[in-house]
Amino acid sequence: MTRPALSGRVAVALVVVGAVLMLVPLLWVLALSLKSNAELMADTHSVFNGRYTLQNYADLVGDGQVFRWIANSLIVSLGMTAGVLILSSLAGYGFARLEFPGRRLLFVIVLFGLAVPEQAVIIARHQLFSWAELHNTHGALILPGLSAPFGVFLMTQYFRAIPKEIDEAALLDNASRFTIFWKLLLPLTIPAQATLGIFTFLSAWNDYWWPLISATNKEMFTLTVGIASTQMNFAQTEGLGFLMAQAVFAGLPILIVYLLFQKYIVQAVAGAAGR
Amino acid sequence: MAIDAPARARRRPAGWANALFVLPYLIVFVAMIVVPLAMGMWLSTTKSDLFGVEAQVGFANFTRLARDPIFLETVWNTFYFVLLTVPALTLIGLGLALVLNRPARWASVLRTIFFVSTVLSVTVVTLVWQLVFTPDGGLIAVAAEALGGSPVAFLNDQDLAMPAIAVTTIWWCIGLPMVLFLAALQQVPRDLYEAARLDNASRWKTLTRITLPSIRRTFLLVVIIEIILQFQLFGQPQLMTRGGPNNATRPIVLFIYETGWRQWELGYAAAAAQVLFAMILIAAMAQYFVASRKDDR
Amino acid sequence: MKLATWLAAAIMSAALLGCGRGMEDTRTELVVQRFFGACEAQYGAVDDPAEAEGECGIMTALINRFERENPDIRVVENIVFWPGYDQLTAQLASNDAPDLVTMHGSVISDYQARGLLEPLLATDLAAIGAPPERLTEAARAAVTIDRRIWGLPIDTWAPLWHINMNLFREAGLVRDGQPVLPRSREELIAQAEQFKARTGKPYFVQSTANEYAAFTRNFYTSVMQQDGVLYPEPRRADFTTDEARRALALFREIHDRRLTTINQDYSAAVAGFINGQGGVFPVGTWMVGDFHGESQSRGRPLSGGYAVMPFPQLFPNRNVTFADGHVWVMPADSERSPEERQAAMRFLAFFARHQFDWARTGHLPVFRDVIDSREWRALPHRDALAPLAETAVPLPKGVRRQFPIETIVGQESAAAISGAKPIDQALADMERRVNEILSQL
Repeated sequence: MTRPALSGRVAVALVVVGAVLMLVPLLWVLALSLKSNAELMADTHSVFNGRYTLQNYADLVGDGQVFRWIANSLIVSLGMTAGVLILSSLAGYGFARLEFPGRRLLFVIVLFGLAVPEQAVIIARHQLFSWAELHNTHGALILPGLSAPFGVFLMTQYFRAIPKEIDEAALLDNASRFTIFWKLLLPLTIPAQATLGIFTFLSAWNDYWWPLISATNKEMFTLTVGIASTQMNFAQTEGLGFLMAQAVFAGLPILIVYLLFQKYIVQAVAGAAGR
Repeated sequence: MAIDAPARARRRPAGWANALFVLPYLIVFVAMIVVPLAMGMWLSTTKSDLFGVEAQVGFANFTRLARDPIFLETVWNTFYFVLLTVPALTLIGLGLALVLNRPARWASVLRTIFFVSTVLSVTVVTLVWQLVFTPDGGLIAVAAEALGGSPVAFLNDQDLAMPAIAVTTIWWCIGLPMVLFLAALQQVPRDLYEAARLDNASRWKTLTRITLPSIRRTFLLVVIIEIILQFQLFGQPQLMTRGGPNNATRPIVLFIYETGWRQWELGYAAAAAQVLFAMILIAAMAQYFVASRKDDR
Repeated sequence: MKLATWLAAAIMSAALLGCGRGMEDTRTELVVQRFFGACEAQYGAVDDPAEAEGECGIMTALINRFERENPDIRVVENIVFWPGYDQLTAQLASNDAPDLVTMHGSVISDYQARGLLEPLLATDLAAIGAPPERLTEAARAAVTIDRRIWGLPIDTWAPLWHINMNLFREAGLVRDGQPVLPRSREELIAQAEQFKARTGKPYFVQSTANEYAAFTRNFYTSVMQQDGVLYPEPRRADFTTDEARRALALFREIHDRRLTTINQDYSAAVAGFINGQGGVFPVGTWMVGDFHGESQSRGRPLSGGYAVMPFPQLFPNRNVTFADGHVWVMPADSERSPEERQAAMRFLAFFARHQFDWARTGHLPVFRDVIDSREWRALPHRDALAPLAETAVPLPKGVRRQFPIETIVGQESAAAISGAKPIDQALADMERRVNEILSQL
């Protein structure tokens, strides 16, 4: 029995080392963010000399642009989440339960949409939004995300799994289709809504390419693009410590969300990707 | 589909009203996916910039791509990156899941640690890792100097830059495969393990004879999902290396971005996008194939 | 349903946040888009440019000053990341043009050729106090296409040699208080070797990682100093020449002999020079103010030991330096009201008036009278920089796509200099790639 136990312990030890390696870069950045820019300019080894300051965070708060970006990210992510939930639930119910001409064909076409990557449509989409003069609005950042077929697929599967007897009984009571959907079935889909909602929120929060080309106005930057803008600034005068404080600050909201909803997020991601 | 005539007649009027449920989504779907997809295909046969179409050029953009050494390099770079990351992500993810698939408190803490980087955005991740890799006071350089070594310019070395980006990506993305494998491990029927225990099977045997075969499908799915994801590499090299040094880290998506937005050759960029689309489509079809076999078993 | 309620509440509050702004403001709105970085944290409250240092600081202070002097104009300042052309192009494509944008002179022709810019009329120029005859040769060339003027130039910049005099003294390369600079390639190598032997440090500090512009500036300057022709026609590049080969060979030799720092990105190189890692930092005029400030502080490697010189003539044919400049341009916008255009003109007039303040960055002024002024000459190091007014030369205006081309030239130069590619192959690739772009015009 000793051999397997030993190999098991080695495996655990390896994983612990791996976990430390996962954390070290984050701690490094945290430490850099607590140093004065001048000291870092001279030498990053000064990280270890024990003189720390909150000045970078004070500057960050005084500067304020990062709050604007966080607000934008929140608006976009929440808006997209709400939109996806509404559209996907309606469509999922329609595809799963109702008869209408062309239903099967339409569903297959929507499924085909799953295979279309962002890169194949982004150029033309950008042109489209240009003509419609939609760029640099929250709507422009939300709208493309609403088209993701994944939510429809997920909700359709979920509605299909609900026993038909429930709506048939209600139909006999002369309830309208919408009432059945809204009052009876929707509450039953909460777990799927949570999965889809979390998944949408996370991907919207971290979206990069589309906001990069659509939100060109600093007022409209999402957090992701805003951080990139300070990162790529040539001859930037804000120091390293400030940049690092910004990175920490930018990572915080989503980290807090993650730690609060950890269990659901992990379930959601596993459920969403596994389907 | 043997529906009797009266039933059909009864349903017909209600049918169109029923479509109202899917209509809102379909409108967005057509506007955001169908139309841009068709437009993109059409753009790929034109010479155009962001301000308009200049000429119809047929397949000239595609033949130009086939002869463009820079584009061909980006194709190779993309495949190379997939090769560096996907096996590593899959195997490390599997290993982590096997070790951490237990109810103990410490295992749950470690699961949190391995997943936490996944929720960070690409800009934060690249900022962190640039400060790890830079030879001027970066984390690795500082550590190397403390141990008597000399700093290495990972991101400015043709041979090391892509592996460095791969390490960054693995750090960033390892949470997803781990979670997928954990979910799969939870599904393995308990009685199989009971039976193995009764047979006095060794751990190794249990692993290779029971656990791994049971999660075979998840394994394939993880590989395919990761291939599709990593094919779309963009932010990491755009922010960390700008595709350099000597073109060593420029992936297809960065090529598309630079060609369209910096070089003002939208038609040419659209053509490159179609090529990438074809590649991903093949991978996605493989995923569909694997997923649909679930019902056969 | 708790999740839904929570979501709804969050969206409502988010929407309110978004709508709370911009109410009952009747002032004329002027949208100004610029690079040079964001530094509100440091200079957000400063509106006297004399109290600011560096491009970012002075720009921020100038715009703050303009806002104070013009309370009837609401300035919307949009700071883009350098150089911001990807974004600008996207904005123009979506008819979301700012009123004024900073642009490099080398890039103007791309936008002008597509009808995306509005020219400044003779009356405009007179009104803002920038008649063409006031402009230097380089500044006028930077904004003139088809005999029309496409923006207000605010500076001319050129690569300079920033020098750590403390190290130069140690290396025995100071004579009569002046740095001894090479007059030929051979002297350069010899002096650099002497520098390295005496100080134990590389002669050059260079930014070579994750950046290409510096390579391009060195390459263009070296070819131009040999009277080499880079673009025989506006749509044809010719880089497979002896001049080009010699240019890359020189920088490759510097690299191979380790007479330069290697693998530093831009910020590492700036930090490296400030920390005394090497003798010469070849970078543009924009750093003069910052480095001078550093030399005034005590106990630092640059303290009391900073000098700056134009790029020395390393080849015998011609004393010339590749140059470019920053310009305020006005994107065409059919919806711009006369009031908004008027506000933009007041902004340009303000910048023309404050040309001296901007020149404190280190950039060369665009007005002859400012260069000749006692005020400007009294700024540190400006006597040494004044000859640039004659020797700074941009690429021919007819060459378009200079921005992506700069990247290609830099990439291939970097490959040749670092030894990743043979020089001949790098030049052939460079020429092929650039001509590919030019042929698509």
